[in-house]
Amino acid sequence: MLLKRHIPLFIVVGVGLLTLFGHFINQKDIQNFVDNDSTQWFDIIASFAIFLGALNMLKLQMLKITRKQKNWQYSLLAVIGFAFAVFAGFFFRGANFITLSQISPESVTPIAELITSEFDLENSTIIEKKLSAENAEYEVPKIFITESGAEEFMEKLEPYNVEMVIDAKPWGAHMQTEGSLFSWMFFNIFNPLSSSMFALLAFFVASASYRAFRIRNFEATLLLVAGIILMLGRVPIGELIPWWVVAILIVFGIGALTAPLIKDRRILVASIVGGILLFLGVGVSLGWNEAPPAALLIPVIQDWIFDYPTTAGSRALMIGIALGIVATSFRIIIGIERSFLGE
Amino acid sequence: MNLLKNIFIQLGSLDRRVIFLIVGLSVLVPLVKPDWVSLPVRPKPHSQIVFDELNKLKQGDRVLLSFEYGPSTMPEIHPMSIAMLHHLFSKDVKIYATALWADGNFMSTDAFSDIAPKYEKEYGIDYVNLGYKPGNEAVVKGIASDIRALYTVDLKGNPINDIPMMQEVHNIEDFDFLFSLSAGFPGSKEWVQYATDPKNIPMSTGCTSIQVTDIVPYVENGQIKGILAGMPGAAEYEKLVETELNSQQQEIQPGEATRMMAAQSIAHVVIVLFIIFGNITYYLTRKNQRKGN
Repeated sequence: MLLKRHIPLFIVVGVGLLTLFGHFINQKDIQNFVDNDSTQWFDIIASFAIFLGALNMLKLQMLKITRKQKNWQYSLLAVIGFAFAVFAGFFFRGANFITLSQISPESVTPIAELITSEFDLENSTIIEKKLSAENAEYEVPKIFITESGAEEFMEKLEPYNVEMVIDAKPWGAHMQTEGSLFSWMFFNIFNPLSSSMFALLAFFVASASYRAFRIRNFEATLLLVAGIILMLGRVPIGELIPWWVVAILIVFGIGALTAPLIKDRRILVASIVGGILLFLGVGVSLGWNEAPPAALLIPVIQDWIFDYPTTAGSRALMIGIALGIVATSFRIIIGIERSFLGE
Repeated sequence: MNLLKNIFIQLGSLDRRVIFLIVGLSVLVPLVKPDWVSLPVRPKPHSQIVFDELNKLKQGDRVLLSFEYGPSTMPEIHPMSIAMLHHLFSKDVKIYATALWADGNFMSTDAFSDIAPKYEKEYGIDYVNLGYKPGNEAVVKGIASDIRALYTVDLKGNPINDIPMMQEVHNIEDFDFLFSLSAGFPGSKEWVQYATDPKNIPMSTGCTSIQVTDIVPYVENGQIKGILAGMPGAAEYEKLVETELNSQQQEIQPGEATRMMAAQSIAHVVIVLFIIFGNITYYLTRKNQRKGN
């Protein structure tokens, strides 16, 4: 009970109070704890959490494979992917590079040209400049996953009589080095898979909008109209929609709102048609074809929606969330909220 | 008339694979044949503010560029990174990169390796990449108070104290501007809450379209100077940078986002048409059902 309940509760309440007081008490040590020490503690714990997350993922997938649960084949792929990432990250650097030195002046241009053509670079002038610098140690701008690949390229440089050394990028840095095994895995496997998953959204959005985005009531209509304006106003095609299209839509909107009040259909249709003709006539006579009013341009309406209704709605949400966070934090600090203990 | 009604009612039970095919084509065709659809990109006020704020920076000013996105949001945010590097490197501004997302490391490395050589910028002197640290808001708070307590080495493994351009940088107050390339949590909001607002450092953001509603209150409040909203925002910024660099006789190709604007425009129109057709079908079906009853 002491280990599982009282000590964790004591730590949470203590750290919570200390962090809270740090904002109100002007004491150097407390502020130092809040600004520096606590954030570093958090970073260390977060780093361990990554390990825990990885182990947990591995455990769940392995269980699925061993028990041959539904779609266990995907779990196998996940484990293989995980193992490959660990291999490329911790055991195989795959980030070899060649350093050239003692380059004779007559070899500078052919070496620069060879490097430029071999690695599809834009121009050889910069390479030449670097190669011809005094006591130059030039790193060939290419990372080789295997040493044999590097040696293969070195064979091409042998006629120029230069000193060549193969080295590897340091552990850790090798992962972000462009051309390394880890980087290759990221850009050629993870990147396209991740992008494809996200791109599928467009298809689902289109299908869902066709089937579910319905004018069922006033709120749904408002949402639909705002959605359409945002979709068209955000993209360049919105700029091409003329003022009269918006004018006609406005008249239709007014017609839809007043329809329940007008029982005779002929009067309703006549009012709408008359309204459209009147609107267009006024617009043309006022020269809106050349200089339309901003209120009738889709991108301007879209900006207005973002700047006013959206901001107001988002602020209301944010204030609500903040109040919720304050209440929950207070409950944690005074020890009432104990869900983090599994209670 | 009845025939038309029946067609619309039939369309209501359209197979979703047909919808997928139409959406796919509406994206694919403008990408494969960009000359077929040419649309004007006109910068909106928020993008203009971002550009103006960055354009105010002088030679030698320090900008902290935070990469908080990954491959899934790369098409939206990466063009912003590329255009930003063009803009900042052309102004000889010093760039300090960091990442709140692990994937951000790859994004920053890719952007720098693409653009830095074009301006003959040297690592450690003109730009530095500090890389990713786990801890979300705690990392932001760490950068706000003491970078060296958080980072001992950069992304390439060089000790921070050995990097020339890090000599006078200790915390967020040593930067002239912060730009967050954000696709979610942790991102722009955390930078405002824990770093730039308390320390009064100007910042701006480029984010995914879906995030704009969350960020807009900070923009309207002036805590974030302008916003590049999704791919259209990226295209608008690309246009502004292109115009600026061309005016300085520097050649720059139209960016990736500009090229993708036609595809996104057509896709949006297609989705809007689907919504309209869907509602007509819904209305007619309901009317028919009422008559039947």
